[in-house]
Parts: sequence; C-alpha cells; structure tokens
Amino acid sequence: MPEPTSTRPGPGPSERGGPHGRPRHSRERSREARLAWAFLAPSVLVFAVFLVYPLGRTVYLSMHGNDIIGEPNRFVGLSHFAEMASPAYMQVLVTTLLFTLGVVVPGVVGALAVVLLLEGVIRGQKFFRGAFALPFAFSVASASVVFVVFFSPGNSVLNGVLYRLGLDQVPWLTSQEIALWSVCITTVWMNLGYGVLVLAAGIGSIQREINEAARIDGATGPRLAWNVTVPLLGPQLFFLIVISTINALQSFGQIHILTMGGPVGSTTTLVYSVYQDAFAFGTSDFGRASAQALVLLVVVLVCTAIQFGVIERKVHYS
Amino acid sequence: MRLSPQGRGIGAAALFMSLGLVLSACGNGDTGGEGDLTAPGPEVLDDLDEAVQVEFWHSMDAANGQVLDQLIDDFNAENEGRIEVTGSFQGEYDDALANHRAAIQQGDTAELIMIFDLGTQFMIDSGQTVPAQSFIDEDGYDTGDIEDALLNYFTVDDELRSFPFNNSTPLMYINRDAFEEAGLDPDDPPSDLASIREAAEELTVTDDDGEIVQYGFGAPLYGWYIEQFMARAAAPYCDGANGRSDRATEVLFDGPEGVELVEWWEAMIEDDLALQIGRNVDDGMAAFTSGRAAMTLESTGALSNYIEASDFEVGAGYFPLIGADDPGGSIIGGASLWINGEGHTDEEVRGSWEFVQYLLTPEAQSTWHAGTGYLAVNTEGYGGPEAVERAEEFPQFELAAEQLAESEVNENTAGCMMGVMSEARAAAEEGWEATLTSDATPEEAMSEAADRVGGTIEEYNASVDE
Repeated sequence: MPEPTSTRPGPGPSERGGPHGRPRHSRERSREARLAWAFLAPSVLVFAVFLVYPLGRTVYLSMHGNDIIGEPNRFVGLSHFAEMASPAYMQVLVTTLLFTLGVVVPGVVGALAVVLLLEGVIRGQKFFRGAFALPFAFSVASASVVFVVFFSPGNSVLNGVLYRLGLDQVPWLTSQEIALWSVCITTVWMNLGYGVLVLAAGIGSIQREINEAARIDGATGPRLAWNVTVPLLGPQLFFLIVISTINALQSFGQIHILTMGGPVGSTTTLVYSVYQDAFAFGTSDFGRASAQALVLLVVVLVCTAIQFGVIERKVHYS
Repeated sequence: MRLSPQGRGIGAAALFMSLGLVLSACGNGDTGGEGDLTAPGPEVLDDLDEAVQVEFWHSMDAANGQVLDQLIDDFNAENEGRIEVTGSFQGEYDDALANHRAAIQQGDTAELIMIFDLGTQFMIDSGQTVPAQSFIDEDGYDTGDIEDALLNYFTVDDELRSFPFNNSTPLMYINRDAFEEAGLDPDDPPSDLASIREAAEELTVTDDDGEIVQYGFGAPLYGWYIEQFMARAAAPYCDGANGRSDRATEVLFDGPEGVELVEWWEAMIEDDLALQIGRNVDDGMAAFTSGRAAMTLESTGALSNYIEASDFEVGAGYFPLIGADDPGGSIIGGASLWINGEGHTDEEVRGSWEFVQYLLTPEAQSTWHAGTGYLAVNTEGYGGPEAVERAEEFPQFELAAEQLAESEVNENTAGCMMGVMSEARAAAEEGWEATLTSDATPEEAMSEAADRVGGTIEEYNASVDE
C-alpha cells in the first residue's frame, strides 16, 4: 500500500546508507549490516511469503497452460496476454472503468455532502453521523442480499414502490444498460459509511479558530464549506479517493450476488473475469486468470500513480 | 509503490522469487494418469482392528443435508466397529468440484465424493476413481431395480462410471388459482410452446392503467432447460452422438431447436406475455411464488419449497415440448457418487462401496425421496412407507417419476457428455440472454455462443490428450 510520504521527506533512519555515511572500520560495518539483516529478517520473510512469492507464482502461471486439474503443464509464453487484445476483453476494461467511476465519484461526493450538511445540524449530529456511517458495518454479502430483494427481477421491492407511485417498472438487473448502475448503487451505499467516517473525523480535526476567523470575515453556508472546509479536508478526500478507487477495482461480492457478471457480461469487471476463468465453470484456467490478475495489478498501479501525480499536488496538508 | 533504490533489496527479492518458482515446480505430483483401479472384494473388511474411516464430501445442506446425515447415522449404527462414514458439506456443486480438484493436487482426496452431472467427464479424465462398473462386476450386484434413465446417464463407453444418487428432472409449475380464474383447466396444463403462449394470453392480467400485474409465463434463463428442450425434441446437444460415441468437438444448441426456443421466448417477452427474469433460479421462484408469473419451469426437487412459499395452490405438469409432435424424454440433472481409488486403501474403497450399497436400498431411497424430493434411484423406493405418504400429500410429486419412466432411453435423453459442459451451459445462457437484452437475432446470438464453446472444447481436449 503506497503511503503519502513523498510530501514530507523528513530525515530517515541513519542506516539508509546516504552520502553522510563515512567509511568506517569494515569489520564494524559488516557487523552492523548483519545486525540490520537480523532485524529485517522477520519482515522480509513475511513480505517474501505473502507478497513476493504469490506475485512470482502469478507471473509463472500467467505464462503456462493448465491441465484439467489446474496444474501448469505447458509453457505458452505471452499468449494469454495476447488473447486479451480482443474486443471482448476491451469490454471488460471499459466496464471496469465505468464501474469505478460510477462508484468513486458518487461515493466521495455523497459522503462529502452528508458530512457538510450534517455540519449545520446541531441537535442529534452524532446520531445522524452514526446512522450514515452504519453501512460500513454491513458485510458485502449481507448488503448485496438486501439489494437483491430491492432489484430482484422476480419480485422487486423497488418496482413495487414505483408501481404504487404510478411509474414505469425498471429492469434493474436484466437490462444490459441498467444492471451495471444497479451494482454501482449498491456499492455506493455500502461505501458511504466508510466515507462519512473518514470525512467526519477530518472535519472534527479542523481547528475551530479557522472556522471562526472565516465567519468573522463574513463567510457563511456554502461559501464557508467550499472555500474553507473542503480545502482543509483535502488529505482525507484524497485518501478516500485513492482507497475507494482501489476498492472499486477489486469489487467482487456484490457483482457475484447481484448479477454474476451478466446480463451477457455487462457487469463483468476485471476481478470478476479473473474469477470466472479460475473458478466459475470448473475449468481451473489459472493461466489466463493469472494473466488477467497481472493486468489488474497494472491498472491499480496506474490509477494510483495518476492520483498521486495529479490530485495529490492540489492537496493542502495543514 | 516505491521500490527501494538499493540493489541488494531487489537481489534478495529476485532470489525469493526464483526460490518460489523452484518450490512450485516441485509441487507437481503425479496427478493424472488413467490407472487400472479395480474394486476389492468383501474379504478386505474381515479381521479389522478398528473401523474403516470413510469421509464423504457432498453438497447437501439445509433440509436435504439433514436427511443425508440421518442416513449416514443409520448406516454407522448398523456398521459399528466396521465402517464409520463422516459426512462433510463442501458447498455448492461447483465449489465441491473445485475443492476436489485442489484435493487431487495435494494428494488428499476424500474416500467418497458427490459430483454433479456436468463434472462427469472431468471425473473420468482425472482418473482418480474406481469405476462403478468394477464394483458391480466384482460383487455381481443386481442393478435391475435402479432407474434405467439414471444408469443410462452415468454410463460411458458401456461402463457405469459412478452411482446415481441425488437426481431430478425439471417440471412445469403452474398457479392453479390463476388457471381457474382465467377459465383454464389446471389439470391439463399446456404441454408445448404454442399452447403455453395461448394459455399465457389468457393468464396475463393488466390493471386499469395498463400495467401488467400478472404475467402468463416467467422462467429463469437456465441452460439446463435448453438441454431438456433439445432432448425432448430428439436433438443431440453436442456432436459425437452427444459425446457418447466420440469425444465431442462442438455444441449444437444453435441448431433449429435451440433457435426456435429462444425466438419463442423473445416474442413472449416482447408481447408482454412473459416476465424477463434473468439467469438466477431464485428469481424465478420469487416471480412464481409471489404470483407475478403464472407458469414457470423448475426442478422436481423444488416442489415442496414451491408449495410452502406460495399462498395459492401449486400445480405441475410435464416439462414442455418445443413442438407438439416432439417425442419427449427427459435428461437427468443432479449428482452422482464417486469412489476414489487413487491414494486410498482397499479397506477404504470397500467401505465406501458398502455405504453406497446402503444408500441404494429401497428403505434408504424411500427416506431420501420423501425427505428431499429427489427421484428414488432405486424404483422400489417409491413403495416405501415414507414415499407413499409423501405422494398422498402431494400427488404432483409422482409426475417426475412418470415423466422419467415414459422417457425413451437413447443418446439424446442421456445428455451431452464433455469436459466443458459447465461452460457450454453458461454460453447457451449468454446467447439466450443476449437475444433478450440486445438487438442480436436468436441465430446470431446462439451461433456466436456455440462458436465460443467450440474453442473451449478444443483447448480442453488438447489439455487432456497431453
């Protein structure tokens, strides 16, 4: 997980081996190095077992074909990657992108709106914050099951409400155009709690004096929110954008429970496509799944890098 | 992610990575190989020091799981000190197969496993099990009472490969109250596509504003149904005589039967006679039991659930035909039992077979059929006290057995056998769904789906031949 240390390049530990390290007695140096490795060993081990090895294994698998049990049995080079240059796979990437946008933008804006509006609520503010943060406590599976009841093509609760209001029925999960947005709605609702939690904590840490000073200068309501509060929430907003993007790119449970990637692949994102190849039809195509997982890794890296490159420059750390 | 600028760190990482590769390369045990696994005789269970442990992996939970646990307990009580069976729920069929696959990799399979119909070819190709035929031949076991259609389904190359156990066929379910209100005879439900449409025209009800409150028909897009429709039209689902005489190389669901079905389905939805439900079977049940759709398709195993969840009277009829003149016939769905030989002692293999024999007795089958709704694999089971009581309670329940008994046993009703049947089913569903949710015509959508499966079959066959 990248940490935003780049803006604060404070003095690192002296053992970084920078230009200040004078050549000392070599025996002492090697002793220090051994000691350093001894201290590093536990984390290197954990890192190797849980990060480096799986990554290496994924790279290895991505270049092999499988037998029917899922054991790699033939080298296929980069052909799994070459297969991905197909319109069908581009569709998966586009779906992933749309889904991420459809989750991150409303999710962050929604959480911000909730928190800012609650600023004006004096009585019961804590209660409402708690209420809005509650979705955070739901597991993906149980929240998805609730939304299945809302959207179910068989007997949709939402359509029942629409019917009573005299409105048209919506094919929430059975239309290629709409299903993705239904999954987005579910995900936004699930993520809202976390966003509210993060931003509410941020708003609580804004110094009272700043708000008072702004008020004395005549700033009120929306202007106070937009010109003072939002910029001061910069670090939290940035954190939220990065985290919810990564979360959205890795979403699985709600897609699996609501649509199983359908109708006709219209809600099949990268992660779901990985799942389908590796596990869904009893095919154990771990090679193709691994290749896709690496693509996902690159997508996440690129998105995060862009966010650090573009958005973080505008973040004001007080 | 910020990488350490120190070369040493990268060197260490590379070392670990290559170590990982070496380790993983060593992990490939001997997994495949069609061994000559044969059944041991009963004498291996003489003079045991302690009871033989048989682990049984299955996919039965909730009410069905309780019935199975009961059978296991009864068997263990009868065989105390000799054989002890331990049931272990492994999740849905797909999950169980994935777990089994992992167990093969680790050389740690259970003695006895329940694998669904679509996994049959994989189970044969992975060469881990003792063919069921071998036990039958060794003991001279009489299969005369076992349902013919079931034996037919699980027989490949003239050998019974596994033991049928939890099996079902689909039916058409009808809302009897809605039929009566529409002036239709609920005792004579429609039996082919054209007559379903006629009935649906009567059964579809709109309110004063023109909104539809009850659709005539609504069933999930479940690939199993296409397989059933094709079998009832005497059309093979894949080549090589449904994969029974030669390894299948292509699927045939884009033929005239499949296209006609999908075309009909699309027109039903466009003309507001059917509800578009999507692929989830649970949604199909919700649509029917809530009264939104007056006719639907579902497995016999769901009958008691349907009756319980509906506040109207539930009726049932045979699964429909595409054309009124089709010969009919049903394919089996559900799972069968496989006895693992690779990596297991003769005692364990024999112990598993003893348990399977118990499950196939009329007594056990009566309990099983009455408690779950699955077919009685041993037809004598229908005469058992529990099964008789059940049939009196729900007369619709006998339909499944009748429908199956009337089926001609041939390669079409045996169903398609191939290693990527799950993917074929999913592709058929996608073609079907694409017709309903896009501009694609049934011909285009179904043949595109079939072509895609063709590539997958080729890959599978190549990976097995190696």
